[in-house]
Parts: sequence; C-alpha cells; structure tokens
Amino acid sequence: MTTTTTDTARTPGPRALARARRRRAAARFWRQYRDHRAGVAGLAVLVLIALVALAAPLLVGAGSQSVTDAPGGPLEPPSGAFPLGTDQFGRSLLALLVWGTRVSLTVGLLAAFLSVAIGTLVGITAGHFKGWYGNVVMRVTDWFLVMPTLVLAIALATVLSRSLWTTVLAIGVTTWPTTARLVRAQTLSVESRPYIERSRALGGGHGHIMSRHVLPNVMPLVLAQTTLVISTAILTEATLAFLGLGDPTIVSWGGLLQDAREAGAVSSGNWWYLAPPGLAIAVVALAFTLCGRTVESVLNPRLGVNR
Amino acid sequence: MSPDSTPALLTGAAGVDAARADGPAPAGPSARGPRARSTTAYLRYAAGKLAGAAVSLFAVLVTSFFLFRLIPGDPVKQMTGGRQVSTEQIAAMRREFGLDLPLWQQFTEYCGKALTGDFGTSYQFHAPVMDKITEALPATLLLTGTAFVIYTAIGIWLGARSAWRNGSAADRFHTAFALTLYSVPSFWLGLLLIITLSVGIGPIPGLFPTGGMESGSGSGFDHVVDVAHHLVLPVVTLVAVEYARTLLVMRSSLLDEMGSDYLTTARAKGLRDDLVRRRHAVPNAMLPTVTLLFVNLGNTVAGAILVETVFSWPGLGGLFYQALSVPDLPLVQALFFVFAAAVILMNTLADVIYPLLDPRVGR
Amino acid sequence: MVTRFPPRSSRPRGRVRILLASGAAALALAAGSVVPGNPVGPAPQEARAADGGKSTLTVAVAQSVDSLSPFLAQRLLSTSIHRLMYDFLTNYDAKDSHTVPGLATAWEPSPDKLTWTYTIRSDSTWSDGEKATAEDAAWTFNRMMTDEGAATSNGSFVGNFKKVTAPSPDKLVIELKQPQATMTALDVPIVPKHVWEKVGDFSKFNNDTKFPIVGNGPFILTDYKVDSYVKLEANKDFWRGAPKFDELVFRYYKDQDAAVAALRKGEVSFVAGSPSLTPAQAASLKSADDIKVNDAPGRRFYALAVNPGARTRDGKKFGDGHPALLDQKVRQALFTAVDRTAVIDKVFQGHAVEGEGYIPPRYGSYFWQPSPEQKLAYDPAKAAALLDEAGYRKNRAGKRTGKDGRPLDFRILCHATDPNDKAIGKYLQEWWGDLGIGLEVDCRDNVSDPWYAGEYDLAFDGWSVNPDPDFVMSIHTCAALPAKAKESAATDNFICDKQYDELYARQLAEYDPAKRADLVKRMESRLYDTGYMNVMAYPNAVEAYRTDQIASITTMPSDAGNIFGQDGYWSWWSAVPAAGASGGPSGGGSSTGVLVGVGIAVVVLAGGGLLFAMRRRSTAEDRE
Repeated sequence: MTTTTTDTARTPGPRALARARRRRAAARFWRQYRDHRAGVAGLAVLVLIALVALAAPLLVGAGSQSVTDAPGGPLEPPSGAFPLGTDQFGRSLLALLVWGTRVSLTVGLLAAFLSVAIGTLVGITAGHFKGWYGNVVMRVTDWFLVMPTLVLAIALATVLSRSLWTTVLAIGVTTWPTTARLVRAQTLSVESRPYIERSRALGGGHGHIMSRHVLPNVMPLVLAQTTLVISTAILTEATLAFLGLGDPTIVSWGGLLQDAREAGAVSSGNWWYLAPPGLAIAVVALAFTLCGRTVESVLNPRLGVNR
Repeated sequence: MSPDSTPALLTGAAGVDAARADGPAPAGPSARGPRARSTTAYLRYAAGKLAGAAVSLFAVLVTSFFLFRLIPGDPVKQMTGGRQVSTEQIAAMRREFGLDLPLWQQFTEYCGKALTGDFGTSYQFHAPVMDKITEALPATLLLTGTAFVIYTAIGIWLGARSAWRNGSAADRFHTAFALTLYSVPSFWLGLLLIITLSVGIGPIPGLFPTGGMESGSGSGFDHVVDVAHHLVLPVVTLVAVEYARTLLVMRSSLLDEMGSDYLTTARAKGLRDDLVRRRHAVPNAMLPTVTLLFVNLGNTVAGAILVETVFSWPGLGGLFYQALSVPDLPLVQALFFVFAAAVILMNTLADVIYPLLDPRVGR
Repeated sequence: MVTRFPPRSSRPRGRVRILLASGAAALALAAGSVVPGNPVGPAPQEARAADGGKSTLTVAVAQSVDSLSPFLAQRLLSTSIHRLMYDFLTNYDAKDSHTVPGLATAWEPSPDKLTWTYTIRSDSTWSDGEKATAEDAAWTFNRMMTDEGAATSNGSFVGNFKKVTAPSPDKLVIELKQPQATMTALDVPIVPKHVWEKVGDFSKFNNDTKFPIVGNGPFILTDYKVDSYVKLEANKDFWRGAPKFDELVFRYYKDQDAAVAALRKGEVSFVAGSPSLTPAQAASLKSADDIKVNDAPGRRFYALAVNPGARTRDGKKFGDGHPALLDQKVRQALFTAVDRTAVIDKVFQGHAVEGEGYIPPRYGSYFWQPSPEQKLAYDPAKAAALLDEAGYRKNRAGKRTGKDGRPLDFRILCHATDPNDKAIGKYLQEWWGDLGIGLEVDCRDNVSDPWYAGEYDLAFDGWSVNPDPDFVMSIHTCAALPAKAKESAATDNFICDKQYDELYARQLAEYDPAKRADLVKRMESRLYDTGYMNVMAYPNAVEAYRTDQIASITTMPSDAGNIFGQDGYWSWWSAVPAAGASGGPSGGGSSTGVLVGVGIAVVVLAGGGLLFAMRRRSTAEDRE
C-alpha cells in the first residue's frame, strides 16, 4: 500500500530517486500521523518511558537493587524519601519501577520483533511460493492461530528453564500467526501488480522479488503490526511473571506484582506496592496500542479506525 | 487484558478484512467457500471445514503428547514424591502407567485411548483425568458463559452506538475507555477489585466474597444466590478486559456499512435514524461480529486461567495451573487438548454457520 | 517416631512440591492451608439465628485435597483431615508431645524388643454403629504390608514389620524384624475393616463416593466438593468427648490473600498460610479488631545444604557439585559469611528464630546447640581469612579462584514457589559477592530432578520435624543413599558418615527416652561439624483466627505452639465457640449474600424493564 508512483523528475540516479521518494513518503506519513491526537499522545508517552529506561542508572543508581544496602524499612508507605514506598526488603519501589521499565520494554520489543520476524518470513514466503509450500505453511499457520496463545506460552515457559529468553521465546513463537496471515494477504496483492511481472521477466529471482519488491511494500503493515504485538507481548510478559514463570532474580513489572502478592500486599492493604506496576503495564500497553492503531489508520484510511 | 488476544482483531477492520479475505479464522466468503447456493455445495463446504478441524484436533493431540514430555521430571519420581520406594515398586508403577514402553508405542496407545475419551489417570489425584475435567468444567462454563453473554451484549451495543455517532464525544470516550481496559492486566484488575470490593477499603464495605464459587451452604434458591454472589467479581473482571474486542469489531464493521447505498435508500424512505440503524445497518454489520463471537468464546475459556487463579475459581484454568506445577502429565495433556479443542470447534462452527447467515456468501 | 508421615510431614522443602505446596514447611503449610471460619457468614449471629444455634468452625486452607483415602493421601491437609476422621493407635500430648493413648490404651515391648503388644480400647465405635477392634488395626496394617496400592502413603511405617495379628478384639500384636524405637509413633489411620474390605483397587479408590464416611475420630466427614470444601460434623460419641463446635468446614482458597481477606470479613474463623502468613499480613491483622495472630515457634528448620559429592550406596559418584565445596574451610567460610540476624530481621521480619542445631527448640528434649568453639558465627573477615587459607585468593577482578584457576562460582537450588528462598538468595548473592564468590540463584518449580541427580552446588533445604526425630535423622544415613545414580531415594543431601550412622543405629534400638535423646544430640553435633548442612532459621508458624468466633483453642505445644497441622486433633477438637457467635454458614446463604443477590436481580430487572420500555416507545413513535 503506501508508496505511490513517483513523479518523473530529472533523473538523479535510481538510488537517490528511491531515497528521495521514501523521504517524501515518511514526511507525508508523519504529517498525517500528527493529526491523530491519540497517536501523538501514545508516542509521547513511549518516548518518555524509553528515556526513563535508558537513563535508569543515572536516575536511580545501580545500588538501588541491592538488598543488603536497602535504605528503608520493610513495606513503608509512600513518603518524601520513598515516593512510592518500599518493598519487603526496604528498597525504594520507585527505583525498582524504573529498573523494571528496562526489562519490560526489552522483553516486549524482543518478543514482538521475534514474533513479527517469524510472521513476516512465513507470510512473504507463503505468499510468494503459492504451490504446495504455501499451502502447507498456511495450514500450519492456521493451526497455530487457533492454539490458545496463553496456554501454549505457559506450557513453553514451564518446559524451558526460567530466564528472560524463555519468556521472549514463549511469546515470540506463540503470537506470530496473525502477522503471517496479514503479511501473506499483502504479499499476494503486491505480487499481482504489473511491475512484479516485469521484474520477473527481466530475470529477477525469488530472493530479489521478495526482498526488493515485496518486503518494502509490506514493511508499513509490519510496522503497525509490530507496535500492536509489543503491547500484547508486554502484557504476556507480566502474566507469565505473575504466574511465577519468569526469572525471579530479575526486576520486571510483572515480577514486582508477583513479589507484591507473595508479600501479602493485597490483603494487607498495601495498595502502593500493587498499583504502580499494574498501571505502568497498562500505560505502556495502551501507548503502543494507540500508536499501532494510528499507524494503521494513516496507512489505510479506509479503515475508519480512530477517525 | 487478555494476552491471548489476537492483535489483528484489535485493529478492527484490518484484522477482520484480512482474515475475511483469505482464511478460516473468522470465516468468510473464502475462495474455498461455496460457489453455488445449492445445498450440496454447502454440504461439501461444511464437510471440508469439519475435516480440517479433525486434522487440527489430531495435530493438537500430537503436540500435547510430545510438548509435555519435554517437561523435566520423571513422572514416577513425582508420584512417589521422595518416599522410600523399592526399585520393584518403581518398575511396577512404570508398567502401570505404560512408561516402560517405547515412546512411539506410548503415543499410539495415548491416541487410541484419547479417541475413546480416556486420557489416563491423574498422578496427583489418583482419579481418571476425564473425571477431574468433568468436575471442573461446569464452573468454567458458568464463569465464561456468563461473562461471554454480558461482554457480547455490551460490546455490540456500545460498538454500534459508537460507530453511528462516529467522532462524537461519546464515541471517543467509549473507544478510549475500552482500549484502556483492554490494556489492563486482568489479574491486576482482579486483585484491585478484591482489595476494594471484597476486602473493603475505608468506607467501602466488603461486598463480595474473596474467592471460590460457593460457600458450601444452603440449597435450592439460596445456593443459586450464593453462587451468583461469588460470580460477580470474576465476571466483572472478565467482561472489563474482554468487551473491547467486540466493541471495536462491531464499530468498524458498522462504519464499513454506513456508506452503503441501501442505508441512504432507507433514510430516503423516511425511516427514523434509530430504525435505520437497528433494522438495516446493525444486522448487516453483525455478520463479521458473529464469527468473532465464536472465536472469543473459545479463547475466553483458555483466557480465564488468570481470573480463575486470582479468584480461586474451581474451574479448568485453575486445574491446568495446578497440574503444570507437578507436572501431572496426563492431566496437563488432556487440559491442553480441551482448551485447543474448544477454540478449534468454535472456529469451525463459525466457518460452518457463516454462509447460512450471510446471504451474500454463496452467490 | 520422628515424623508423622515420613513422606509427607517431614518432607524436604520443595522437593516434593506437590506434597507441601512449598516444601518443608509442613507447619507453615499447616498454618497456611487451613483457615477456619464461616464460609459466607458475615455475621455469625445471624447465621446462628437462622439455624437454631448450630456452631460451625470454618478453616481457610491453601491446599486442595489430593485424596480422601488414608492409603493414598499425601498432602498435609488430607492427612490432617484423616486425623480427625480416624483414630490412630497412639497420640501425642498437646503440652509436650509425649505419647498418650489413642485407639490403644497401653502398649508394651517384649524383652527382646521385637514384639509389641497394644491394648485396644473398648469404648470406640465406628459411626455406623460397629465396634472398633484390634481386628480393624491388624487388617489395616496387613493390607499395607501386602498390597502395594495400599502402601502409597504410609508404607514406610510397616517396612520393618514381620507379622501383625489380633489374637482378641482388645489385643494387637506386632512382630518386628529389627528393634524400632518409633513404635509409639505409628501415625497410621486405622480404618474399619468391614467397610474397606469391599474395596477392590486401593490405588484407585479415593474414599469419596459415599457420605458420611464411616470413621471413629472426633469428627465425621459428611460432605466434600473437589477444590471447594470439606465438611465434617462433630462425633458426639467420640470416646474422649465430643468436640465443642458442631461442624468443621475446610474451605479451599487458592490465594492466600483471599483467605486473609475472608478472615477479616468473618467469612472464615481461621487462616494459616502457605506455609505461613507473610510478615505484612501478620502486621496488618494484628491491628484488626477481633483477630488474634498466633505467632508461635515452628517445627521446621530452614537450612543451607551443600552437595558433598553425590554418590550411590555402593560409592559410585555422580552429579556435578563444585569440587571446592569438598574443602571444609570453603564451606565454613560460606556459612560464616551468612548474617543470620539479618535473615531473621529482614526476611522473616522477626517471625523466626535464629538457627543453631538441626532440631528446632520446640522439641526441648532433642534440641542441641553448638558449643562456642564449634559455632560458626557471622564474621566476614574470618570467612575471607578461611578462604585465603584454603588457597582461594582474590584475583585482579576481585574473584576468588582456586589453584587450578577455576573461580568460586556456585549455583544454589531454590524453590520458585518459596518467597524466602528467593529473598535469601538475593542476600547470599551480595554477602558472598563481597567475598569474591559468585552465586547463581537457580529457581525452579521442580527442584527434585537436579537434586536427585546431584546437579547442584548448594540448595535451600528444610523439613518439618515430627515429635519423634527418627525420620529427619534417617535421611542423612548412608543407607538412605540411592541404589542407582540419579534415582530417587530417601537421602536428603547425599550425606554419608560412618560415625553418624553408628549413632543412628544405636538410637533406633534404644527404648530409654533420655538415653535416646542424648544419642540424637550427639548426631546433631556430628552433623554440624561435617558442615554439609547449616541451619539458618526455625521459621515460626504464623496463623490467625477470629476471637469473636473462637473463644479458645489449644495450641501444640500448649504454651506457645501452632494450631493447624498439629500432631493430633487437639486444636479443632478443643476449640470453643465464642459466646453468641457460632460462625456458621450452616443453614442458608448468608444474609449479605441474599441481599446482594437480590440487589443484582433488581438492577438487572430494572435495566431490562427500562430497555424494553424504551423500545416500546420508539417503535410506537415509529409506527406513527
């Protein structure tokens, strides 16, 4: 979808031409994106959170995760010294929340990347090689699509050892089928365009067509899809951590919720322990969803999403 | 929100469009759909879908067998639980559970028995797996069924209103609100509800039970009330995180319909706006939503694991989690199969029913 | 004998997760798993009024029942319920755990120590009217000796039995292969022969098909709903006297927070914790009205275990324990760098006692403390010196390495379900990190695999100790080692020490309590010195109950002890309902429940009516 035909300008070489065309498309994309208030808000939140994650060591210091040097008493309510209170070891919850940003974002991004990468690969090849390969692959995809994702992820997380990578893997390999489906549909429509025919006639091989023609054309869709998958991935990470299937030695938002529950925060009324990590998860998931929807409606205004 | 959600559905029409364009998920006039309106064509189509479902079910069976063999832990060790048992005893147990056979033989035996509904004996409960599942099934059906009816009603109603008044303050509010709840982790929402409405904070008294499905008291009407009382919070949690999907799909499919000529015609006839919506636009927009509903129902059963855990609901989700930690292989395998089968059956049902609902399919 | 049900009550923490949700903590579990209270009844008075004064004690439990068959049950909850349903031959005194009569009124060993004769009481009847006799006991033991399916949960008790007979209805004779000092600690539920002889396959029969279940304990089980509740009624004919509460209900809460919340609201009368209430929960409950927090010395120890080089009974080595740990100095350095006070203060927040010997101080006659010269007190400087001495010096990066250049990087096995393991793991990482030792905290759901395979360096370990210490001592003998590599075995930590084994054999044949206690203490001393087990703490049992529902309840030991998971039925049997409050859900749904239910119905009806009305109106308009 996206890039339209180029206005035939003075020929500055095909590469530069393509580059200029892409720059123009990006600028137009941004202009349209800006019109969606929700999308801009989501993006702003994401930029802010990304900055917090990157600056975590500067903001709260590396020592804030240490239990032996914990500055506060156990489970102190919010105060001037500890704006969000302390956990059961006396560590500042605000500091832990900031550290957790890194893990949750990393897992979310990696898992989404893995999921979308698998989905794109499967989708493009299935769309391109239409014969038995495409059929078989799509059968497998359909089958994965109907598997209960959470159940499968829980099962995988149980089967493998507890680590960050397990979580990434469990999410990645269970969420790709939707992407594969979307990408395949898009691939089919791109490949029916005349210029692909031309390229093939000129001797373009499978690899050439898929990587040079199809991939750039499905990228915008993939981008939108990635944003949405990240939101799902962050929630799934929190869910797995909450069920005790994450790496307990790493501070993540879901892990904080699990710690809070283990410490008995729910029945002791320690809301300050429970509320912030959940809110953080919801905010980030929502921000990614908003961005994803905006990207999608910019790319395909017919959808009427969020108009 | 339920992490098992299919992102594409969230995006509204995009997902549905793509899926409709080619695929069994929410079925549609796919290339393999019936070409003629004749009954035979439909039957052939339905048979194809059913055969596909059977293949999927078998694949699930295979997966459930092999995936969980990977869980570390010798089942016999788990069963004996560190008690002092003789080598002969261990050998006897291995024989009893068929663990001494080569893997492929275990597999064929497993498949054969599964066909007759026999998934073996639970390691931890010493009872047939199917008995444990049938015990827990009603609780899950009650919870997910109630939640399903409510979130479907709310989702369709609000979705239709939002689309009809597209761009209005109400539309923006409903969409934003639904998206926000959709982004909230369901277990977290459940915990907050427990703190506020069950334990009680400050002036709010604890109105609802903290967990479980019944208090084991009373009979007849009292019992019904008791269960309903326990049902409120888990259902509210499930509805809150689930209704967004229905709302968004309903909204975007109605938006698609709204430009259609027949609506203009209807209006030109002088029909009230309300009526145009209810009699003409909504029924047509319902089609993609209906297929989504089936998919939702299947997914909700599996997605209820978290809510069941938080609210101590004695259903399949809780059982699955309990079985995984042992690991109680026969139980885990059977539950995995049941969850996947629920989704597959619902999808197939959607595929089979869709042409019957949509007169345009089968032209 | 030591452990109630060796398999279940003294169980290595987390190794058998199933049994004790989080392992060793039988106590904790006990505490945690059962909470009495009224299920629904918000206001006990109302419940009582509705029901003609039937008093109900509701206990919130965090475990579900695995089986109601005493031959299969393994979980603490199930075995606790069996104590209430069936009488045992002997019982333990609530005050100091000495043996007191149960179904047997007297017992006596023969001079050669190989034959025990029990006198069976004549005033115990099964709930279906039949008399309980020696024949029932003999049949129960014989069944376990001959049927593998019936030996699942208590088989280890009869391992040393040669023959069991009932020459007369009041006489039970057990002949042994070897002398056994634990014959007054046979924690086996005696079942009615006339009911159980009809059972076909013991490995499949769960005793949950016909209610009420025939028994002769202080309570009769009348109803059971999987994963929901177990209901028992007072046995008015119990020989020791009827319990004060009319009904006892164990309600299952998957989530401990939900159980605590239920206690606050009065839905239940008692909550324990799995294995214990958390410090935060205890603190918040302390300030609540009408709730008493019972913070009592526990029966568990919580220890660090070091892999001494896993091996089989015939000496074949396996596993991959770090070789540096075979050096006693390294082990001592590790233990010396553990600040036990911090563990008690920070992790347990005061709800534990600092660890010393192997057996917790609650069992006074067996409790042992290291002498000042023996003791490995907290001293990081000394730990560093010990490591230097042993040849492990810090390199430039601050890591300690051996002569072969291998760094001191250890793994510690941790139970993923136990918050204490994870918490202490963090502290150990920092303490040992300061010494230049690396530590990987390896948390798993299922620790038994690496454990049995000897694939660990250190591990968090812990057991719940029974009044008779035999079981927890036996798991460190050479005889407990596995026959084949990686096979499951009774051994706790692959310890095998000749001197210890000699002492063990002597105490098992010693029928004089004082002499036996002395031998047990010498074993503890030896265990401490070998340095493969180091007890960090004795966690308390932290549980709570409503004083407006329970007026009084017996703890065990009675001065300061736990309520749930006792070695006996004292707590529930002795509990007295509070005046004017019966805490019973009994007759009908609670009034709050009804109110709310009615409220919901009204709202739904009103909403439906409104919708309908609106529809009508609009259609009417439309018709115009």
